[in-house]
Amino acid sequence: MNPGVAITAVTVVSLATAIIGFYGLRISRTTGDFYVASRTVRPWWNASAIGGEYLSAASFLGVAGLILLSGTDALWFPVGYTAGYLMLLLFVAAPLRRSGAYTIPDFTEARLASRTVRRVTSLVVVMVGWLYIVPQLHGAALTIRISTGLPSWAGSVAVVVVVCLTVAAGGMRSITFVQAFQYWLKLTALAVPILFIVFVLAGNGTQPLGAADVNPAGTAPAGLYQNISLLVALLFGTLGLPHVLVRFYTNPDGHTARRTTLIVLGLLSVFYLFPTAYGLVARMFAPDLARSGQPDAMVLRLPGEFIGGTAGSLLSALVVAGAFAAFLSTTSGLVVSLAGVISQDVLDGSVRGFRWAAVVSAVVPLGFALMTDSLALAGSVGLVFAFTASTVCPVLLLGIWWRGLTDAGAIAGMVTGGVLCGGAMTAGSLALAGSGQTPAWLAQPAAWSVPLAFAVMVLVSRATAHRVPATMPRTMTRLHTPERPLATER
Amino acid sequence: MTRVRVTAPHASPGNPGRGGPGPLESREAAQDSEVGQVFVRSLIRSQLRLALVVAGGFLLILAAFPLILVAVPGLADTRIAGIPFDWLLLGLGIYPVIGLSAWLYVRSAARNEARYRDLAGEQ
Repeated sequence: MNPGVAITAVTVVSLATAIIGFYGLRISRTTGDFYVASRTVRPWWNASAIGGEYLSAASFLGVAGLILLSGTDALWFPVGYTAGYLMLLLFVAAPLRRSGAYTIPDFTEARLASRTVRRVTSLVVVMVGWLYIVPQLHGAALTIRISTGLPSWAGSVAVVVVVCLTVAAGGMRSITFVQAFQYWLKLTALAVPILFIVFVLAGNGTQPLGAADVNPAGTAPAGLYQNISLLVALLFGTLGLPHVLVRFYTNPDGHTARRTTLIVLGLLSVFYLFPTAYGLVARMFAPDLARSGQPDAMVLRLPGEFIGGTAGSLLSALVVAGAFAAFLSTTSGLVVSLAGVISQDVLDGSVRGFRWAAVVSAVVPLGFALMTDSLALAGSVGLVFAFTASTVCPVLLLGIWWRGLTDAGAIAGMVTGGVLCGGAMTAGSLALAGSGQTPAWLAQPAAWSVPLAFAVMVLVSRATAHRVPATMPRTMTRLHTPERPLATER
Repeated sequence: MTRVRVTAPHASPGNPGRGGPGPLESREAAQDSEVGQVFVRSLIRSQLRLALVVAGGFLLILAAFPLILVAVPGLADTRIAGIPFDWLLLGLGIYPVIGLSAWLYVRSAARNEARYRDLAGEQ
């Protein structure tokens, strides 16, 4: 790959992000602007922005890499990432918008009338966000190393610097436009090269080197337990992701929140066809890429394998640009939502506090990313989904749909889920370091940690039924009744 | 479009009376009566039932996909335009099912809300 072209691509994406961010600065004025774009973003914009934010390093590089390694077993990843949004639509989208809260801690505090619940939720949300930013920075490090030959840290640091600048400058209003732009950039950056590749392969009449159903690196097929546990994590993890939830507050009302989610589902379905195509083409025509030890880099390398000369470098540069857009958009979405939580809970909730909180939310995971090595991107993001599914998901689902939830139950459930899932993640990586293998039940903890978190939350709530807040009927009414057409708070 | 300062609902849960009733508060106050609460409960029940039915239906179809491949021998080896059938089913065929479930849900949820509006005497 031509380093000059790749560096230009990264610079152009970063500049475009910064320019759209600074343009947004002129139209954000109040605290409300900063946090939720004053809730007046149109569904198409908002849906593109949600898509842009959601499609992370894992979706752009990781899914295709995993499909290359393990074939149809890995197809559950894109299916789960998309179906997670269906669950979000069914159980969370409209009530959460109607709650009128800005962040997940706002929601739990309003629902359960407890400051302690708020603090525990904030802690969980910040952990989820940091865990999720680390793989984005690993992806950036990998991309920069493969495409430009620069040292790995340059990629992670570049992402953090651009994100801090845009978020601190414009807040969420500009972030909405940045994210929407980045969805379409990511889609183009995957779609155009693969169409060229398929065209070239068909034109030359190239014969496949491998069969679609043979794992090129000899990866063992996943068992039934692993696939089910993965699906539980992805289906229930999505509805607890802080950067996804904060987006719903930018819808004018609950009905629009549902319509936005419907559009998002369409956008995600179209997007995931392409990583699947990359994986399939690589398995059949370039199985060697699986044996290079870096399957996550496959998407970056594939155009250069089949298309030479200037066209090849330009297509590779396009993929690098799209990948960088993925790291930037997910990281900035996470940083915005974390900064919202940190600035309201630790600092004074002002615009100045928000800016400082944004810097803190980005720099801490940078430290982790520089100290650790990249595992498979889709796999490490899958673990974050398992963690949210075991902590935030139960408190949201029960809070929205069950009148009996109490503050004590919510805390007990979140702590149980967090300790079980976090413990499994730690034990799993220790087992990997010790014996080179992680048992399936530790590698994919969601199938048992999510039901246990729900069970503890329900049982403790039942035992402390006298703690159901007096405001509960009123909150439930607010969550579920449609806004009056003319009397919303706009 | 006028721009209004929006702030987080910080103090509202613990002491609901603070700051006097805004438009939102009065919307809820109107539904505080016993009859109002009956309507709200029935709305929540019907929305939850709808969500569970759609989710259950979708999960059944999702589970059926790999089962079809196991149950019908030779299907996984069938190729359409050079692409194996199992790849088409899981990589392409599942997305329309997700979209259709979502569309059905959005329509029915809006209908439930319209019915509630009629009952509760809103416009």
